[in-house]
Amino acid sequence: MVVKVDGLVKRYDKLVALDYLDLQVEEGEIFGLLGPNGSGKTTAINCILSLLKYDKGNIEIFGKPMGPNAYHIKKDIGIIMQNVAVFDELTVYENISYFCSLYIKDREEVKRLTQEAIEFVSLEEFKKFYPKKLSGGLLRRLNIACGIVHKPKLIILDEPTVAVDPQSRNKILEGIKKLNEEGATIIYTSHYMEEVEQICSNIAIIDKGRVIAQGTKDDLKAMISIGEKISMEVFRIEEEALEELRRLPNIYSVEHRENLLEIKSKKGKNNLVSVLEFMQRMNINFGKVITEVPTLNDVFLEITGKELRD
Amino acid sequence: MSIQLYITRLKCLVRNKEAMFWCYLFPILLASCFFFAFNNLWKIEYFDTLPIAYVSEGEESESFEQVLEAAETSEGVKMFDIAYCDEVVAKQLLEKGDIEAYIVGSTKPELYVKGSGLNETIIKSYLDTYRQMSVTVTTILKSNPNAIEEGLIDDVMQHDTYIEAVKDDKKPAELLVYFYALLAFSCIFAANWGLDEVVNIQANLSGRGARVSVSSIPKMKLFLCNILAAFTAHFGSLILLFFYMYFIIKVDFGNNLLYLFAVCMVGSFAGLGMGAFIGVWVKKKAEVKEAILTIATLGGAFLSGMMMPDIKYMVATKFPLLSYINPVNLLTDSMYSLYYYDTYERYYTNTLLLGVIAIIFGILAIVGIRRKNYASI
Repeated sequence: MVVKVDGLVKRYDKLVALDYLDLQVEEGEIFGLLGPNGSGKTTAINCILSLLKYDKGNIEIFGKPMGPNAYHIKKDIGIIMQNVAVFDELTVYENISYFCSLYIKDREEVKRLTQEAIEFVSLEEFKKFYPKKLSGGLLRRLNIACGIVHKPKLIILDEPTVAVDPQSRNKILEGIKKLNEEGATIIYTSHYMEEVEQICSNIAIIDKGRVIAQGTKDDLKAMISIGEKISMEVFRIEEEALEELRRLPNIYSVEHRENLLEIKSKKGKNNLVSVLEFMQRMNINFGKVITEVPTLNDVFLEITGKELRD
Repeated sequence: MSIQLYITRLKCLVRNKEAMFWCYLFPILLASCFFFAFNNLWKIEYFDTLPIAYVSEGEESESFEQVLEAAETSEGVKMFDIAYCDEVVAKQLLEKGDIEAYIVGSTKPELYVKGSGLNETIIKSYLDTYRQMSVTVTTILKSNPNAIEEGLIDDVMQHDTYIEAVKDDKKPAELLVYFYALLAFSCIFAANWGLDEVVNIQANLSGRGARVSVSSIPKMKLFLCNILAAFTAHFGSLILLFFYMYFIIKVDFGNNLLYLFAVCMVGSFAGLGMGAFIGVWVKKKAEVKEAILTIATLGGAFLSGMMMPDIKYMVATKFPLLSYINPVNLLTDSMYSLYYYDTYERYYTNTLLLGVIAIIFGILAIVGIRRKNYASI
């Protein structure tokens, strides 16, 4: 096990930020920590890194107790913070090289690793640029390069795609997958469920400082009753028809809002077919039809009663 | 590794345009302002023997020549360095600027000058006084031929000198206080860099600090590298300021320049320590820390007489303890004592006190920095 967190409690006066948090991260996985803003993700990361004091609990990394003086553990950890943390007075190359030299003594090795990191985040053309001249996306990539340049075994990324354009976001996510393929264990925190679904092999959903569900995305989706979501463009439907629709087998939620009929069904076969037959039988005109499998937002909604982005 | 970190940090510091302006350029601009504002005052306070030429009109000029030769200030400084020549040569000397003026004749001496200034005014005043005296003596002798025997003429000739020279060749003390205070303030300005160094390695103060704190390099090692880089860059600014003042605007700092550098070095460390101390121990936002630092450094400079020289003496007489704990004052006083005293006792006392302050700030900053994790970030 790469990271093991047991019963972690962190309080800010009366506010409980982490409430007996338990986490286990296995070697080689991309572990997603998903939760809305203020759920305790960053606090958990800061405690794991021994930046924050905590009130209770145990943290082990690489099977050893983590502490502020655990330099033998820290040398194998890379951190990419939510906010870009680079020096404005240093070029892209110098920034990456500087952060590398915090870990590596050999100058030639620092040069080699710096070059590799620049290539990894595709900043070759910008290596002589100062951070202020970079766009938001490029700046995020520089931030990542500074965190992974020393080839850490454990990489922690705390919301690395906040305020990033789609192109850079895809590049970042691809890069994370590549790092994982090269052997690094990743902890990825985000409140973007799509990203977590896209790259994480194991996901912990966190709310109010507690893990409320953990597993693969399929495991998590299997925990909830929704099997399928059907959305139909319907301009006019009577209340009686809606009531009848709710009585169909497997259907447990029907709502009509702003010309959109949203039907949630339990797991089962032919749910869409039975809905379409009903619409035809009742002579209800409809336009576009979309069916979706449940998302992690649905999981979060069903467990907590609120949206992930609330 | 440490050298690499030191060099990179040094690069960061010297590329910071804002810090460079305040640390390198601003003190030079201020020194220039002082120079232009006070340069004329210096000229007024100084008196050097004035080179003039005298164009004689024959034997009757002899007594006037004696009067010119004998003219001196109350301090015994000869007033005129006289070249005797004909008018053509005198004119040439005046044109070339070798002399301030030339005088022709003795009964009604005529003064020729090239421009108007303090020296020309002195010569003219002297000549006017001479003419006035001549007329007075002539009038007295006409009405009382026995005036010489009665000593009346001696009484009339008795008058005060109108030029008073400064006792030695040093520039006035009050004006030097400004330059010492500027040098001292520049030393203490290192506090801003001390604060920056703390911000850059403390996880609770910056993202860079957080990144550094989770790296495998001990924080103290990095802090020392960074402080050394800050000291290098800052001391460079002091040397530049000193050279500008000493060689360009010719501020006379006396003969103990090595001692002056030594106290500047201690002052620079005191400034860095002070900034680091405030950075670590003031539990407020970065803006508040900066404001406190500005108040502390400017306040120290004010109390050391940078804005009003009299304040320095008022503090020294009425609040002596404040003088001993104000680093800017200790710095100015060390420099001042180097200039004015033949012994080093006062210099050593001040420098030692400054060193103690630097060490106390440094130790307290290190104690704070050694904290490994935080209650909140």
